[in-house]
Amino acid sequence: MNVLQIILIALFIYLGSIGSIVGNTIGWYGLGRPLVAAFIVGLIMGDVGTAMVVGIPLQIMYMGNVTPGGAVAWDLSYATYIGTAGALAFGQGMGTTELIGLAVVFAGIGGLVGQLMWNVSYALNLPLNRLANKYAEAGETKKMYIPNVIGGQAIGFACRFIPAVIILTSMTVASGQADFATLIPGWITTLLSVFGGMMASLGMGIILSFLLKKKYHIVIFLAGFILVTYFGLSTMAVAVVAVITAVLYFVAYDRVKVEA
Amino acid sequence: MEKKISEKTLKKSFWNWFFFNGCSQQAESMLGMAFGQSMAPVIEELYDTKEEKAEALKRHTTLFNTESQVGSIVNGIVCGMEEANANGKCSPEIISSVKTALIGPTSAIGDSLWVATIIPILLTICLSISQASTATSWLGAALYLVAYPILTCCLSYFLFKFGYRSGLEGMQNIMATGQLDKLTNTMTVMGLIVVGALTASFVSVSLPIQITKDVYDATTGTVLENQVLFNADNMLNSIFPKILPLGLTLGVYHLYAKKRWSPMKLMGLILVMAGVLTGIGYLCGVYV
Repeated sequence: MNVLQIILIALFIYLGSIGSIVGNTIGWYGLGRPLVAAFIVGLIMGDVGTAMVVGIPLQIMYMGNVTPGGAVAWDLSYATYIGTAGALAFGQGMGTTELIGLAVVFAGIGGLVGQLMWNVSYALNLPLNRLANKYAEAGETKKMYIPNVIGGQAIGFACRFIPAVIILTSMTVASGQADFATLIPGWITTLLSVFGGMMASLGMGIILSFLLKKKYHIVIFLAGFILVTYFGLSTMAVAVVAVITAVLYFVAYDRVKVEA
Repeated sequence: MEKKISEKTLKKSFWNWFFFNGCSQQAESMLGMAFGQSMAPVIEELYDTKEEKAEALKRHTTLFNTESQVGSIVNGIVCGMEEANANGKCSPEIISSVKTALIGPTSAIGDSLWVATIIPILLTICLSISQASTATSWLGAALYLVAYPILTCCLSYFLFKFGYRSGLEGMQNIMATGQLDKLTNTMTVMGLIVVGALTASFVSVSLPIQITKDVYDATTGTVLENQVLFNADNMLNSIFPKILPLGLTLGVYHLYAKKRWSPMKLMGLILVMAGVLTGIGYLCGVYV
């Protein structure tokens, strides 16, 4: 990664983190999702194809990470931008499954740092309340943005951008030291690919906990599963089937209710 | 003369919330400062004296929290109530108590319907698009990046205006009709089918056990080396294709939803299992 790439990726890590200047809808829930993050890292590093190869499984793994209740379980923005960048920087000459395993490891490192920095910014924001109260007492409606936007963003930016630059720079330096594809022993790449494939169950399992509201719902899940295994449909084809089923369900919903 | 919030001020209040709601989140007032900033233009327009403005600002920088995208309805409702208050038809105490009372329901609806249902479903659909072909794998990501913010912004603005116009009664009416349940249930059905397909396509785990033996072929009189006599994975898949990925996913679901395991703990378990399976694979000669 060159200097410009490092700065751009670090900037997007900040934009995709919770409470950035573009708002949570565009930032945390938009730029911060692994699918989007991989796409952007791919654009910055000039290899969208490989970036998406790791971005899709990362998105599946972290699908369950949707922070209900505002608790940041895992800093997605950090995890996926670092994970994808790490896979692209270190994974030259590696196969798809090994690349994914590598991305999972880097995402884990990124996620931990992100989690730490979130806690730091959460604590540093506290004194801003004093400033907000001061302006409120004085009835300064025109100055209310100062503690919230200026103060909050100065802290948020410092907590995301600077550590990200440090991590990305050290990754760049380390990746230049050796040819990692030949250096890493075979059993580690095997382990990484086994781990990567199994990690997808984490995201799916957590999503199921949101969606399975009644016991019989499990058969709807199984329907989607066997459409792929027995009928050999692509996920896109199943998505179309799902939309059709949802429309029918929506129409039938009221009628069934009236009869029951 | 009746005081009325102008359209321009309402828009300003909404955009202040949409872009800056999470800027200064912390444990003391949560989104309080952001809510205060959102209300500032409204307060500026409605009240004349410094004292009135100060009073209003103080009651809106106190503790407030919600799921901010769906929670914009609270901003709308509070705008309407402040307008009534400026005209002497409401009291500051009522505004504060309504605002506090709305924290719970708006957080719950926002998190369960929007964040935990709509986002994953939209993502799974975009994933399917990305997965369809490697040449167009960027398409799903780009689609999500464009569709999600626009969709959410429209909804958020609609709820804000709805809250302002219809107030608390309007919100209660919507919740009473059962339309929300209908929508949630429909989305759930769609989500479950797609998640089933994604599980089948993406979760991979195999049992790397096989028995190989050198077999003497009587017809040609040669010894065939390393013939696979038994492969556990092939056997399991012939009973039910991808039974292991299905079992693993349901196991993770069970541990997460019923046993309350944290994602970190589950990740550790998966890593250990991956280590064991890799070890078995090397012992049985599946991996070399």
